[in-house]
Amino acid sequence: MGTNTEAARPPSWLQRVIIGRDPRRTLVRLVVLVTVSFVVFKFVLVPVHVDGGSMLPTYKANGVNFVNRLSYLFHEPRRGDVVAIGLQAGEHVMYMKRIVGLPGETVAFHKGRLFINGKPLAEPYVKLPCDWEHEPEQVVRDQYYVVGDNREMSWEDHTHGRAARGRIMGKVLL
Amino acid sequence: MKKWLVRGIVVGVLAALGFWGWRVFFPSPEEMIRKRLSEVAKAASSSSKEGLLVKALNASALGEFFTLDVQITIDVPGTQHTINGRDELMQAVVGARSEGGSLSIEFPDIKVAVSPDGDSAVVNLTAKAKVSRPQETYFQELRVRMTRIKRDWLINQVETVKTLS
Repeated sequence: MGTNTEAARPPSWLQRVIIGRDPRRTLVRLVVLVTVSFVVFKFVLVPVHVDGGSMLPTYKANGVNFVNRLSYLFHEPRRGDVVAIGLQAGEHVMYMKRIVGLPGETVAFHKGRLFINGKPLAEPYVKLPCDWEHEPEQVVRDQYYVVGDNREMSWEDHTHGRAARGRIMGKVLL
Repeated sequence: MKKWLVRGIVVGVLAALGFWGWRVFFPSPEEMIRKRLSEVAKAASSSSKEGLLVKALNASALGEFFTLDVQITIDVPGTQHTINGRDELMQAVVGARSEGGSLSIEFPDIKVAVSPDGDSAVVNLTAKAKVSRPQETYFQELRVRMTRIKRDWLINQVETVKTLS
């Protein structure tokens, strides 16, 4: 009568660290982890690299953030939300802006202050000096007026304006 | 059983190789356009270390991607300009490159719509330009119209697109 010493021998500590006690269970865990990560980071919390300074000082250039693509599943975007706006050709590049004007409102800038329907709006997130002047502009149905927090930039150099609802990909998480 | 498994794997590998070969030797118009545009991005990029002769040669290589009657319309805040014809484009490219500094162009997103006859295409793309002086990155949406001439796809119209109205 012989004994199967190979089968009885416990896995080495290195094997336990790398592939666990039960390789089959480890493989299943790995597949689940990869699938969940793919779904979450592709369709729910999309990681983005912030490039440019139009959202200063709230968001610094070269930072990393996430876009929550499910944030507007049950309600429409709100004033003050920082959102990602998709471009026509794809989703590798998105604009990161703050919603200041809602559908049906008029948006204007006078001496650097933002006016919604003729009334000044308090914007605690704007820390840098601004001297923008802009005539009242109507935001039509299904559009949102978006602008960055860095109003120190010149009006021409700063990308802002009306974004169609369909272009708003989600709310910036952090 | 084992024999059939091996045969199945061999057939699968051969099918994958055949598919890959077909895609390489007979690319679709969309793939040809994407490849062409990546070549355009490479040719449009320049390094500050390039000499004058190299700059001129690279600029002339860039011209080969455009038709003779190409029209480029730039309408961005602060700049409105139209370039008519390949010669005017070449002058603009040489002028811009002589100012020094490096320029890196990429097209991170490309969306191609080929016409039903397969002879023209409209491409919506996002252009990313990194300049060294001053160090800055710019993004711009572009609409490009391309024409098929023999086996080549040439650009005959470029216009900037406003992302926000």
